[in-house]
Amino acid sequence: MAKKLMKGCEAIGEAAVQAGCRLFFGYPITPQNEIPEYLSARLPQVGGTFVQAESEVAASNMLYGASGAGCRCLTSSSSPGISLMMEGVSYIAASELPVVIVNIMRGGPGLGGILPSQSDYLQATKGGGHGDYRCLVLAPSTVQEAADLVMDAFDLADKYRNPVLVLGDGLIGQMMEPVEFKRSTRLEDLPAKSWATTGCKGRERNIINSLYLDPEVLEAHNWKLVRKYEEMARTECRHEFWSPHGDADVLFVAYGSVARIAKTAIDALAEKGVKAALFRPITLFPFPGDALEKAAARVKHVLVSELSTGQMLEDVRFHLGKHRPVSFYGRVGGVIMTPDELVAEALKLAGKAG
Amino acid sequence: MADAEIGLPGAGAGGSALDEILRPVTVLTGHFGSGKTEIAVNLAFGLRNRGTGVTLVDLDLVKPYFRSRLVREDLEARGIRLVAPEGDRFYADLPILLPEARALAREGAALGHRVLFDVGGDDLGARALGSVSGLFNSRTTDLLFVVNVNRPFAEDLEALRAKLMAVQAAARLEMTGLVANTHLMQETTEKTVLEGVRAARTLEAATGIPLRFCAIVGNLARAFGGPGGKADNLPILAMERHIVAPFAEKPSGARRRSGVV
Repeated sequence: MAKKLMKGCEAIGEAAVQAGCRLFFGYPITPQNEIPEYLSARLPQVGGTFVQAESEVAASNMLYGASGAGCRCLTSSSSPGISLMMEGVSYIAASELPVVIVNIMRGGPGLGGILPSQSDYLQATKGGGHGDYRCLVLAPSTVQEAADLVMDAFDLADKYRNPVLVLGDGLIGQMMEPVEFKRSTRLEDLPAKSWATTGCKGRERNIINSLYLDPEVLEAHNWKLVRKYEEMARTECRHEFWSPHGDADVLFVAYGSVARIAKTAIDALAEKGVKAALFRPITLFPFPGDALEKAAARVKHVLVSELSTGQMLEDVRFHLGKHRPVSFYGRVGGVIMTPDELVAEALKLAGKAG
Repeated sequence: MADAEIGLPGAGAGGSALDEILRPVTVLTGHFGSGKTEIAVNLAFGLRNRGTGVTLVDLDLVKPYFRSRLVREDLEARGIRLVAPEGDRFYADLPILLPEARALAREGAALGHRVLFDVGGDDLGARALGSVSGLFNSRTTDLLFVVNVNRPFAEDLEALRAKLMAVQAAARLEMTGLVANTHLMQETTEKTVLEGVRAARTLEAATGIPLRFCAIVGNLARAFGGPGGKADNLPILAMERHIVAPFAEKPSGARRRSGVV
């Protein structure tokens, strides 16, 4: 397929269609409206259904029902709307259902603003709703990667029977880049779902449920979920290590759009005689901690940068240990750091500020 | 800002300068993401370079980021007036139609300078225009439809014609020209441009609306002769990219506030 020029949000919508998703439920909110807008036109072209729900709570419960029936389905929202969905997401995780959720983050807390942020990292990676559960979280940093990861998200959701969250900041959703769709899933090739509620004629009933009144049964269910998350940690960690100027003194740790800004800063630093590299987590849960530890072992300084007041920073510090100094530079509220700001921070660390 | 590298073609042999072929009030419409804002901002700088007074009206009530208001400081530094919401509302995605925009629709041509309207994409974006359409004087107004056939829902003639008709109906104005703007950002090649011109010519033939010029960015514009050049015999608007992501290089000398999209 020839390359197209797409906004991140549009590419996410098309990637879902190419992955065999035929159902979308959602409620509008900036800056992700181009996902529902795109799918409202696109899904009918492929025999799919677009539903604008009456609220995010309703959308997440529609997702619960559709995935229980064995359908590949998607919802998308932005920060405050994702918060509203959390009840449904907890039920979906408890019921072990495969869904894909896209969060195009905006500035918070509360209603916040409509400009980009990464302030939902903790909500995304530590569960988000109530109970002991995790979503697998993928963080794209280009429009192409957003498309690729959405396709992977549907496969991973099926593999683990677990919600997969694609976490992008507003910039990823709104910027336009060339994109191609590298594969297209035929509906007949989708994995069979023996657990789905598809009509029980000739077999035992399948029941989708998250109510376990017997505490020992509920406890066993919780540990079963944990074993899935441990399996994810063993097999699904992804990251990018970018070190184009040789052995680095400063290691940036950043994901999403901020990783792009860090790359620009790294090239500018090379011209000033400071070698820097980037460690970019692609899976935020599971967090690629072992790989980070290896990358950090080779540098003098670690500088985490986020569009938050320091959320991924907690995971970085956890993996590098309390004796390893980790610096932080964040902008919030929708303000985005410039490459120059990151250059200045790195120069300070390298003792070359001036 | 490299003056020599942007701007409008001068009146060369067999061609007219764009400021001669465009009417005093130029309204940019198009399908969603077709490139109206980049063209509006470049036209503003180009017309200003040729000594004309210019006012740019940001009438984009659809997209939340990357609007022409983003380069307010750059425009104002060059003496170009920007009409866009102020204060908190600068950042909002609210359907704000400023009274001043209405006045400029009505009296813009009488100011003795150029007025550019940057309208939101699709028929949805053109609705804002529809609410002031009765104020425009058709003799002094050009309504342009920007086309990039690499965008979704704009790939073929039927889709484009349907979009154009929907925009025209929502705007409640007659389209007077087409603009070829087919590109793939940094991956654009000469072939991309020429295929885009051919596709726009098909739309021209199907609708009878004349194709007026072709917009091309940066080095590629130079490959077609730069300002004053032609692409497949069509005048080109040689553009510089002003609407850029925070990690991309800004035009030299840019004064816009950083940290905002």
